[in-house]
Amino acid sequence: MQGEISIQSWKKYRRQIGYTFITPALIVLLSFILYPLLFAFIMSFSTYTFVHPQFDRFVGLKNYTSSFHDKYFWNSLLVTFKFSALVVPLEFCLGLTIALFLNREIKFKNIFYAIVIIPLVMSPVAVGLIWRMFLHPELGIANYLLSMIKLPPVNWLGSPKVAFFTVIMVDIWHQVSFMILLLLSGLMSLPKEPFEAATVDGATRIQQFVYITLPLLEPVIAVALLIRTIFAFRTFDLIYVMTRGGPGVSTDVFSYYIYRATFMGLNLAEASALSYILLIIVMVFVMFLFRIIRRAQ
Amino acid sequence: MKRFTSLIVAGLVGLTLVSGTAFAGREIKLLMEAVPDTFIIKDLLPEFEKETGIKVKFEIVNYAQMHAKLLPQLISSEGSYDAIVVDNYWAGEFPAAGWLVPLDEYVEKTPAIDISAYLPSMLDMVGYWRGKLYMLPFYNYAMSLIYRTDMMEDPELQAEYQAQYGEPLSISRSVEDYVKLCKFMTREYKGKKIYGSSMQGLKPDPIVMEWSNYLFSLGGDYYNEKWHPIINNEAGVKAVKLYGENIAKGAPPGSPGYGFDEAYHMVAEGNAFSYITYNWMLPELNDVEKSKVAGKVDIEPMPGGIGLNGGWGWAIPNSSPDKEAAWKFISWVESFPIAKRRALIGGSPTRYDVFTSYDVVKKYPWYPKVMWIVGTAKPVPEFLYSTQMIEVVGRELSLAVGGKDPQAAMDDATKELEELAKRAGLYVK
Repeated sequence: MQGEISIQSWKKYRRQIGYTFITPALIVLLSFILYPLLFAFIMSFSTYTFVHPQFDRFVGLKNYTSSFHDKYFWNSLLVTFKFSALVVPLEFCLGLTIALFLNREIKFKNIFYAIVIIPLVMSPVAVGLIWRMFLHPELGIANYLLSMIKLPPVNWLGSPKVAFFTVIMVDIWHQVSFMILLLLSGLMSLPKEPFEAATVDGATRIQQFVYITLPLLEPVIAVALLIRTIFAFRTFDLIYVMTRGGPGVSTDVFSYYIYRATFMGLNLAEASALSYILLIIVMVFVMFLFRIIRRAQ
Repeated sequence: MKRFTSLIVAGLVGLTLVSGTAFAGREIKLLMEAVPDTFIIKDLLPEFEKETGIKVKFEIVNYAQMHAKLLPQLISSEGSYDAIVVDNYWAGEFPAAGWLVPLDEYVEKTPAIDISAYLPSMLDMVGYWRGKLYMLPFYNYAMSLIYRTDMMEDPELQAEYQAQYGEPLSISRSVEDYVKLCKFMTREYKGKKIYGSSMQGLKPDPIVMEWSNYLFSLGGDYYNEKWHPIINNEAGVKAVKLYGENIAKGAPPGSPGYGFDEAYHMVAEGNAFSYITYNWMLPELNDVEKSKVAGKVDIEPMPGGIGLNGGWGWAIPNSSPDKEAAWKFISWVESFPIAKRRALIGGSPTRYDVFTSYDVVKKYPWYPKVMWIVGTAKPVPEFLYSTQMIEVVGRELSLAVGGKDPQAAMDDATKELEELAKRAGLYVK
């Protein structure tokens, strides 16, 4: 009996110790994630602005619906969807190709790793500024290189039709490293036995890739696609530095639309509502993607 | 131990007496833009610190970061910045929102500050707001025309222009003539492709700033006296058409995506005949270490006569932790001796007495012309939603450059500008 009591009190003590250790992390989590989320949620139903930072009027869903009549709201959503729909698959295909290449026994592997990691450690602002210099139509290196192979100069950021694809190209350059590293770590952790058995059975490399590598890599692919999709929907820095949403509204992504409502419209309530709209869209999209992946598994 | 403490106390008292001020040991922080005028002052700070005992910390950032960095500090009860610099784009927004301390009483108490020395155009733009003084002008960036003198004086080009247009080649006196001149100057010149004008079509502020010169010089404006938007009138639409024509036929093809840096480098590399830009760019372009056209450029007022005025002002936010020390710094940096020294090092003046100082004019002979440019230039409307107005107009201009009908673009902008004026409580029926 005495022994049972002491075991129970030991379990209770252990639980208390656990709570003690987890409390600081919980406080940080609540303060830095949950509190701003709740604050923004409450704000989105009010008339809170930079000029009048008070919660004195409840306006219901007005902040959520007020942008619906603005054609540039819909344009920014469309641009964001198009941007995400293009960069995520392209980065995945390119990332997987490079990861497969790096997963083989090749010389100077460490040098390749270093090259791959460089864009990842650069801030989007630095990336944007550097690429703006490279892509200067008259003085940049990009058009100079094109001229050396007798190709005409490209108006990279000055043409509404080209600027969108230029931004996609730069985003891929910047973000593909993330895909490569994630997929490469997945490839390196795959068991060797199924490949050896398949080789003995006479399976070709393509068959091994389709029937062994891809199915085994599915969880990593799912995580990589989900994270990149979320980041792609939130793209802001690169657009801000490179095009400010232009020329015209050709690269006007939704995050930049929210930024304008915040710092130019000074309307924090409307900006909070727009941020929640983005959050809902991203969540729906991610859940949809997650379901497809689960079904495939 | 007691003796040691007494020594420290005596030392501190002595230090305070030596510095001759009650401010010794205080520290103030300012958010500054990474521009030449900031670095000129930064080099002079040790003198201020020695004189007053106040340590000054500059947080220097790029223009694009400033507004977003300032807003959270301005609305808090105690912000991080003791004093700030205010771009004229925000000179209506910040006082209207009640974020700035009126400076009238501070000025009255400070003989070193003479308000009458400032150019009225500067005080109207980054000084007074609705009759109260909220800022002291810091530096000007009124826009003007900078052009290549070697091309203007080239006899072959002069003869060709005369033959083509039946008039002598000269500096344009109207926007229409300027666009014509830019189209003429776009050519192969001495083995190099030259464009008539280096233009900055990036939205929102680069394109709006440049286009405003066209608008004002054609007699247009953003709002009338009742705060009804008028940019879709004849002058406004004509300004869009001429701007679009110049960017299409007289400027580099990449211009719709050019910001300040890209446009500047085109001129500095000798790839452009002219540039509608800040007047303080002239010494930069005449610097042999920075420019390939040094000694071949000069300045004139904006063709048509009225350029865009721009400038920054010093202000003390309501959230300033140390307003007295902040004013001490502002009154030092804007005193005549320091203002003159800043100008002599290359700073951009805002005062008559500095502009007309013998030493300053001797070093910068074009300053009387610049004073005229600053005195006649006109700023964008200053009100609570100036930044949003610039965003709206910038978007429509960028769309018009890309092919949208100029009248439709300005009509669309007008609707939103009217809404902004109403929201700011300025619209009079």
